[in-house]
Amino acid sequence: MSNNQVGVIYQQIIADVVESSRVDFEEGGVDERVLEELRQGWQQKLSQLNVATFPWDPKPEPPAPVISNPPTLPSNTGNYQPMNMNTPPTGAQPQQPAQPMPQMNNGPRIKAEPGLENGGLNNMPQAPFQPPPQAVAGMTAEERAAANLAAAYGQRAAASIEQIQRSGPPAGQNSRPTPQQAQAYQQQMQQQQQMQQNARAQQSQQGQPQMSPEEYRARQAAYTREQAQRVQGLNGAQTDGAGDDIEDSIAVIKRLNSKGEEESMGRIEIDNLIRTRIEAMGQSMEGGGLMLPLKQATKAGKNRQRKVKSSSASGVGQHDGGDDDEDDDEKVKDEDLDEDAINSDLDDPDDGLNDDEDDDESMGHIMLCMYDKVQRVKNKWKCVMKDGVLTVNNKEYVFHKASGEYEW
Amino acid sequence: MATNGPSYYELYRRSSIGMALTDTLDDLISERRIEPQLAMKILANFDRSITEVLNEKVKARLTFKGHLDTYRFCDEVWTFLIKDVTFKMENSSQTVQADKVKIVSCNSKRPGDPQ
Repeated sequence: MSNNQVGVIYQQIIADVVESSRVDFEEGGVDERVLEELRQGWQQKLSQLNVATFPWDPKPEPPAPVISNPPTLPSNTGNYQPMNMNTPPTGAQPQQPAQPMPQMNNGPRIKAEPGLENGGLNNMPQAPFQPPPQAVAGMTAEERAAANLAAAYGQRAAASIEQIQRSGPPAGQNSRPTPQQAQAYQQQMQQQQQMQQNARAQQSQQGQPQMSPEEYRARQAAYTREQAQRVQGLNGAQTDGAGDDIEDSIAVIKRLNSKGEEESMGRIEIDNLIRTRIEAMGQSMEGGGLMLPLKQATKAGKNRQRKVKSSSASGVGQHDGGDDDEDDDEKVKDEDLDEDAINSDLDDPDDGLNDDEDDDESMGHIMLCMYDKVQRVKNKWKCVMKDGVLTVNNKEYVFHKASGEYEW
Repeated sequence: MATNGPSYYELYRRSSIGMALTDTLDDLISERRIEPQLAMKILANFDRSITEVLNEKVKARLTFKGHLDTYRFCDEVWTFLIKDVTFKMENSSQTVQADKVKIVSCNSKRPGDPQ
């Protein structure tokens, strides 16, 4: 039976691919261990599909008799483990791995927390920076975000952290501040977050390419005022380092003033400077006026195509995405409707043939092969296929030749 | 056996072994262990390897019958959707039935492909 062959055949393919890829790995300067890991992962994934019995399956680790490079095999066992355990990819190993676990069990949102905790631990210079467990369990998403921010900007939150540190138990890692302290801590984090949001809002204001001149001037004036205030009073309040170019323009004002030039002249000049800068920014964001319209156009085109298809079941989809310029007014709406479209051909539903088919390969019945002959007489078809892989009823078969007869 | 063929079909990447490889490569790429270019090379190696191994090592034959639901011939690729299909493995009395199977089939006579 050809199903028995599958394991052997696949093992040969894997060995062959690994062998022939070795050169590519060397050329790419990639460690050979990664290649071994690739082999392990590949075999493991195949076993999970459960489409056949594989030579490496019965034993815990694949001895792989066919594989021609036994010397590298011992290292497999070591490399194999991470892939099994499904740990987060790289570098996310906390220094005290046991620490996040109880918190995860307490919290209702188990999924969200490991990554956050790990990330937090990683970013935080010291263990006490970690938010108290009770707080973690009861935190809203916003608060968690705030906590994360504080973790990222740990140095700036040092004051409150120090406070927590001092009043907490001396045991360092497991210090648990009282609820009030935790609250204060969170408040500070939220403040920080707010400041950053403000800064971001200003940034985005500045980034808008299109505004009327009046609007623009009004904003600019408000801007300059804000900026001046910030320089005087709130120095260092901004934590994300935004608005650098504004700083430049302030400097221009100062310089002009020190030169004794007229204030109004300087302002106009600065306005012009900022304007050109904003325009340049807008243009670069837009890709010189190319990117934005193209994106809109393709999106609109795809969406219209999809609509046509769904409205008329027999409609043959238009594949050239034409007549884009007809309904400009619809574009915005269309874009809103279909935010998750990625402009790939895969977005388009296939017609007819694929309609009642599930994409999941392991469950789908599919034969991939090459044809030698395809003949038809009236409604009788005769085909001769070769070198095929057949997946049917969750079992895999390989064949050298297959002949099929079917009527339409 | 046409080992110097310039290109091979990427058809078999959709098979379970191909999907397993692609998934593994995806994992390695997302872990930044390898570059996407290297993954492309490996997939190209896979295209060649599976074509050769299927051609040289597999001897099994099978026949199948069914009702052709849909057929399509586009860019030298035949696609059939066959319903109520029965596969009969040669050298064994075993038959496999399925209510439908999709066949994707490329031309075996292509320069660069083993004949």
